[in-house]
Amino acid sequence: MPIYLPIAQLSVDLFFLIGIGAAIGFISGIFGVGGGFLLTPMLLFSGVPSPVAVASVTAQVVASSTSGALSYYRRGAMDLKLGGFLVLGGIFGSALGVWIFGLLSALGQLDLLLSLGYLLLLGSIGSLMLLESVRAILRSNQEKPAMRRRLPGRAPWVQRLPMRTRFRKSQLYISVIPVIAIGFVIGIIGALLGIGGGFVLVPALVYILRVPGKVVVGTSLVHLLAVMAVTCLLHAIQTQSVDTLLAFCLMVGSVAGAQFGAAAGQHLPAERLRVLLALLILAIAIRFGVGLLVAPADPFTLIQLGFGAG
Amino acid sequence: MGIMMRFLSVVALVLAPAVAQAQVDVVLTNSDPVVAVHSNFRGQAVTLFGAIEPLPADGTNYSVVVTVQGPSTDWVVREKERRLGFILNAASTRYTNVPSYYGIFSTSPRDQIFRGGLRTRMRLDLSSLVASLREDGDAADTDPEFLRLMLASGRFSVADRGVVMLSPAAFSLRVPVASDASNGLYLARAFVIVDGEVVGEGTSRFTIRTQGFERYVAEIARSNPPLYGLATLLISLGTGWLGGVLFRR
Repeated sequence: MPIYLPIAQLSVDLFFLIGIGAAIGFISGIFGVGGGFLLTPMLLFSGVPSPVAVASVTAQVVASSTSGALSYYRRGAMDLKLGGFLVLGGIFGSALGVWIFGLLSALGQLDLLLSLGYLLLLGSIGSLMLLESVRAILRSNQEKPAMRRRLPGRAPWVQRLPMRTRFRKSQLYISVIPVIAIGFVIGIIGALLGIGGGFVLVPALVYILRVPGKVVVGTSLVHLLAVMAVTCLLHAIQTQSVDTLLAFCLMVGSVAGAQFGAAAGQHLPAERLRVLLALLILAIAIRFGVGLLVAPADPFTLIQLGFGAG
Repeated sequence: MGIMMRFLSVVALVLAPAVAQAQVDVVLTNSDPVVAVHSNFRGQAVTLFGAIEPLPADGTNYSVVVTVQGPSTDWVVREKERRLGFILNAASTRYTNVPSYYGIFSTSPRDQIFRGGLRTRMRLDLSSLVASLREDGDAADTDPEFLRLMLASGRFSVADRGVVMLSPAAFSLRVPVASDASNGLYLARAFVIVDGEVVGEGTSRFTIRTQGFERYVAEIARSNPPLYGLATLLISLGTGWLGGVLFRR
């Protein structure tokens, strides 16, 4: 059943959209990852114009992180003060990101940015994940007791920064500067690439700030939800390329898919499946790389100005 | 005759009537004054009918050329090139005030109907039309590519023998309307030609309007972006919340 996406100006099959939403929701449910970093590339590969793909996925990320954020909030597993400083930085990052996005869109270099950005981001994340999970599987096959790696001490430069504040929930007494800076950087990446950035934010919180495990996911969801909401609004206002219909179809699929994924994840060997996820991420990275290196059959593209062009 | 032709060319350029003094009357009318385009439709056709008065003199035949022009938009053609090993958009060429639809329909191939430069002056030649719409300073070698892409997308179309003579003085043609046709007023102009000279002209208009929920969404997105963004956010939050409640994890 084809539906017409008014902003993308494209007819797409409804079940195809709900299907990729559900599939990526399922994957994100199993692994507890966002899914924006898989969804945006999928839309780009299926011919959705890049400004529309990026801007619409921000709305989808808002939907998919809402229920998680609520349940972490009810359990009290989030540091709202830390989250607030992250969001503060994130909003400025998002504004800068949306501005750069509009600029590159007008210059016709948005696709280049997306290809390079995803190639670097997914390439490095995929490789790290693959190494890590292969190592974990080898270790468990050898039946050795899992080596508990000690987290390295907080980077000394983080401790020397001024404006230290106490974050009671996280049991931290640290400067707000690195907190805002991390939020800022993730905000830029999120606005440019159409991802929540949870898979970059969580490691940053754990390794740089030493946020304890019991609040780290909840706190990162605060950032994800608030900053993606602001990004979505800014994209709607500045680039006018948020396709609500597209986002709605995706979020219906992914919200449902995520629940089944989360349920299935408890019965599946997630550590082994992680290898597959890493391979999938690497495959997408390679696809972007190929697009950057192989000349297309038709080097000429036609773009209508004035609407959705930024 | 020479003065006459020069005069003709000047008025034709500003899209005034192509004939100074019509020798024949042309009545052009259409099947659908307002074409409602629904988002899930696969395209339809507007049928135009024309009648010419009087009947052609013995031994002559009327030839008819019809142009259909949609509302104008601006376009950019970008060319990908390899720079520093990467494929990226390098050169770009702008075309402004391009009709979002331009169709040329005729009873027989235009080369047989016209003589000399009349084709170009009457905007019946797509290559020169494209060249005239290119912004100053941009490279001319993109023109054929722009024309090719516009023809491929169905926004430009040429149908020699697209006009059917129903009788010696009546004709009809079908103008295809794509589902992504731009909204607005479409102007059809019919030229009656005898011996390579335009002897009469008639015009007709129809409006294309996309309808339904999708049009409403697109309009809000353009006319009130903050409201549209807020509505999108509320839908997202609502869907996410509802999902959490329904599945209760």
